[in-house]
Amino acid sequence: MKEILILAEHRMGKLRDITFEVLTKGRELARKNNARLTAVIIGHDIKHLAEELAYYADEVLIFEDQRVREFHSEYYQQILSSIILDRKPEIILIPHTSCGIELAPSLAIKLNIPVITDVLDASFENGQLIVIREYFGGKLRARVILRGSSHYIATIRAGISKSEKSEVKGRITEMRGLNLADTPYKRVIELTKPPPEATDLTSADVIVAVGRGIGDAKNLPLIEELSRAIGGVIACSRPIIDMRLLPKERLVGLSGKVVKPKLYIAIGISGQFYHVYGMMNSELIVAINKDPNAPIFNVADYGIARDIFEVLPRLINKIREIKGE
Amino acid sequence: MTTSSFLEKEELKIIKDLNFNICLQCGKCTASCPLFQRTGLNPRTLMRKTLYFVFPLKTYPPLSLSEIDDVWDCTTCNNCVIRCPRDAKPVETILALRTILVERGNVPSTIREALESIYKLGNPFGISNFKRADWARDLNIKKASSEGKIDLLYFTGCITSYDSRAQNIARSMATALKISEIDFSILAEDESCCGNEVHSLGERGLFEILMEKNIELFQRYAVNKIITTCPHCFNALRNMYRLEDIEVQHHTQFLADLIDKNAIAFSKNIEKRIAFHDPCYLAKHNNIFEEPRRILENVPGAILLELEHSRRNSLCCGCGGGRMWYESPGEVSRPSEDRIKETMDAGAEILAVACPFCLSELEDAVKRMGCEDKLQVMDVAEIMCEAIAGSRI
Amino acid sequence: MNIIVCVKSVPITIGAELMVDGSKKRVVLDGTPFDINEWDEYALEEAVRLKERLGGNVTVVTVSSRNVDDVILKCLAKGADRAIKIVDESIQEYDAYAVTRILHAVIKNMNYDLILCGAQAGDDGYALIGVMLASLLEIPYATMARKLELINGYVRVTRELEEGFEEVVEVKLPALLTIQTGINEPRYASIMSIRRAKQKDIISLDLKSLGIIESDFENRIEIQEFFIPEKKKECIMLHGDVDEIVTKVVEVLMQRGARGF
Repeated sequence: MKEILILAEHRMGKLRDITFEVLTKGRELARKNNARLTAVIIGHDIKHLAEELAYYADEVLIFEDQRVREFHSEYYQQILSSIILDRKPEIILIPHTSCGIELAPSLAIKLNIPVITDVLDASFENGQLIVIREYFGGKLRARVILRGSSHYIATIRAGISKSEKSEVKGRITEMRGLNLADTPYKRVIELTKPPPEATDLTSADVIVAVGRGIGDAKNLPLIEELSRAIGGVIACSRPIIDMRLLPKERLVGLSGKVVKPKLYIAIGISGQFYHVYGMMNSELIVAINKDPNAPIFNVADYGIARDIFEVLPRLINKIREIKGE
Repeated sequence: MTTSSFLEKEELKIIKDLNFNICLQCGKCTASCPLFQRTGLNPRTLMRKTLYFVFPLKTYPPLSLSEIDDVWDCTTCNNCVIRCPRDAKPVETILALRTILVERGNVPSTIREALESIYKLGNPFGISNFKRADWARDLNIKKASSEGKIDLLYFTGCITSYDSRAQNIARSMATALKISEIDFSILAEDESCCGNEVHSLGERGLFEILMEKNIELFQRYAVNKIITTCPHCFNALRNMYRLEDIEVQHHTQFLADLIDKNAIAFSKNIEKRIAFHDPCYLAKHNNIFEEPRRILENVPGAILLELEHSRRNSLCCGCGGGRMWYESPGEVSRPSEDRIKETMDAGAEILAVACPFCLSELEDAVKRMGCEDKLQVMDVAEIMCEAIAGSRI
Repeated sequence: MNIIVCVKSVPITIGAELMVDGSKKRVVLDGTPFDINEWDEYALEEAVRLKERLGGNVTVVTVSSRNVDDVILKCLAKGADRAIKIVDESIQEYDAYAVTRILHAVIKNMNYDLILCGAQAGDDGYALIGVMLASLLEIPYATMARKLELINGYVRVTRELEEGFEEVVEVKLPALLTIQTGINEPRYASIMSIRRAKQKDIISLDLKSLGIIESDFENRIEIQEFFIPEKKKECIMLHGDVDEIVTKVVEVLMQRGARGF
């Protein structure tokens, strides 16, 4: 293998954590296959980011233009297509994010390259890319093979790898001579930040999180009681937001908050990845879910596979008892 | 699919022939409605509004459907039907208005999920139908599919099959029947929701599918008699299914019969003061009051207390009519808490119920009010089983 | 406004145990009920609402290896005007790219202003088909739409990013959007409305008439083996009486110094 190409993702003047994770995974693959590791960063006023990236790759390609101040799938596609056609890397790794999945499939079609998404692990053997991914909301995993091409694209899930900096700084190359064709049919208007809110989930020590298993609003008081008894803050998973039972600020997960409390109690939460991503680094995770096969038990420290309505009232009373209330 | 807030012709057909036009507007229905004080659900006003849907007043703008949103608050307790001096049956008007909303797809999201689950999986909980008979594991209960032809069918029902607390009623029934050497079978994974709550929610099409499915099974296995755990199932099977040659009994009726025939041998005393909570679907819909009391009177050591609001005056627990899956916005407390207070005031140690909805809600209320050490909620079958088998299942 | 909605029929696996067959390449789905993919349900609802506001029609297109009539009827009952289905057993073996090619063959000759797809499917979570289809059709696209607004031949899309961030983009019609859950509250389709939906147009197309031959696709993505995930850390499952479980939990909380203990 000659080269592994990695797209860096950044926002608000900072490289996102997932970028470092993907680079570390890329480094592992590159070592095993004696290949070069190249990072690509696209944006405006991003030289400092390129400097940082250089500690994670052999070479950093930097492309700057006002038009790509924010992520723009069409321009990114033009730039990456040009790089890939020129350098012909065997593997292209892109972070599995809202932006990554907007880009990867179109890149695959334009260049006629196989693509696989949301990958947990990858290896390269005999010209084939072998990946591990989840299916059925995390209940099963599979080993998947991509073959029949000299190049493959994979989007890598967040949080599956640590990030490791290297001692040696790689080369930074400014990309020139690339003419970006204007794309009047797609315009990025603005990036909006999340509003500041009253409850700060990210600084809470104890979080009581509720999922679909709670049924409906009439059962929320039980969660509030537990939260009061144990001195915690209430959070939730996606279905609760979709059902409009709690406001979006309470969402923990990929499209919400990432939290690392001392204690995370997951109630009626199945444990699909986009939620788990937001809480898997909690110090102590206790999960209650009627389904013993729920993926949440893959990340919990303690699991109770019982009816939450059986367990919760007794748990609340016990906590109150211990606290002498 | 129409988005107009006014009724279309087909929708008017649904309500045209109801009794809203003999309504006196006396207000007895609203006065007796357990939801009126809590959510403002007003049966009298709904009867009036229905009149205006069909015969719009020339001096007022036509009514829009957004004005009947509170129809989802109704528990179908039947108080309004019992009290109406003209037999105008306000609850039927409420169900018809629900049908109009259902046909428009305009249903609260949690009710939508329950209905979709019932259609796909045969139960409202989103749990695979393969788990419906998990309660019966290790109990060696006959399944109709293995027997081919069965005489007595125990129709378990959704709540009893899937709710871990209510599953104990089924296990108690099974044990009581076994000890008394009564042969019976269950439909197990083949059983589908009886459809009573589906009908109460106005989803007539789904109710018909469930009814057809269950009747086909009853016929396939040449069932002669059915006992149900749940008064809602009892109501559907006996009054709505039209099963000509099949006798349907609620489990309290069946157990009372056994006692009358001296077929039950009690071995343990239950020396407690027990009050019976009449479920709406036994007392108010079907005039069944004596059988559960007869069972409790025969339990050795038990002292039967009569609550102030009993029989046709019983207090609704608040879970019928689809309310198990719907939280009325702004509702401060559930009717069940009133019942618990009344029971405690009467000095009862056990509140005996005969319905898994009541069991679930009243037990929740006991926990919410923090009186678990003073009051137990138990199904009549559980009490009876304890007195027969000598131990709590 | 002519809108096409691509929908997928997926197995309902919440609360069920999943088993893999002998070859380990397939999941045993006999007896498992199927339903419309959750993300597609939101996409369909959004399309129907747009149609109700602006006029036009909604066509659902679905590709499957199994009978999808129940999903189609549900879509029609919820407000779609007609349905196109391509059902062929061989599709079971097709990867995402192959399925996209089929959709492309159907849609490229149709007249549309907007194509809506769910952001991903609940069974495989690939999130590929929407963008791949837009690329083959050479139309603008945007993904993870949480809100849509039609303005003068463009659609302004609020896209959901991570950590509460959002991005607003504008794409020129005709365009393809992938829809995130929660964009709206889907309506209920009653059984009677599903029955009435049988009267609506359901067009069945076969692969041959679309000019698609099996040998066209050498699958470049193949599932080699399914397996049950190994637990990274051992989760201690608490068993027994609920009171025992609760006592144990509180003990653990006290030991691990959870706040307040």
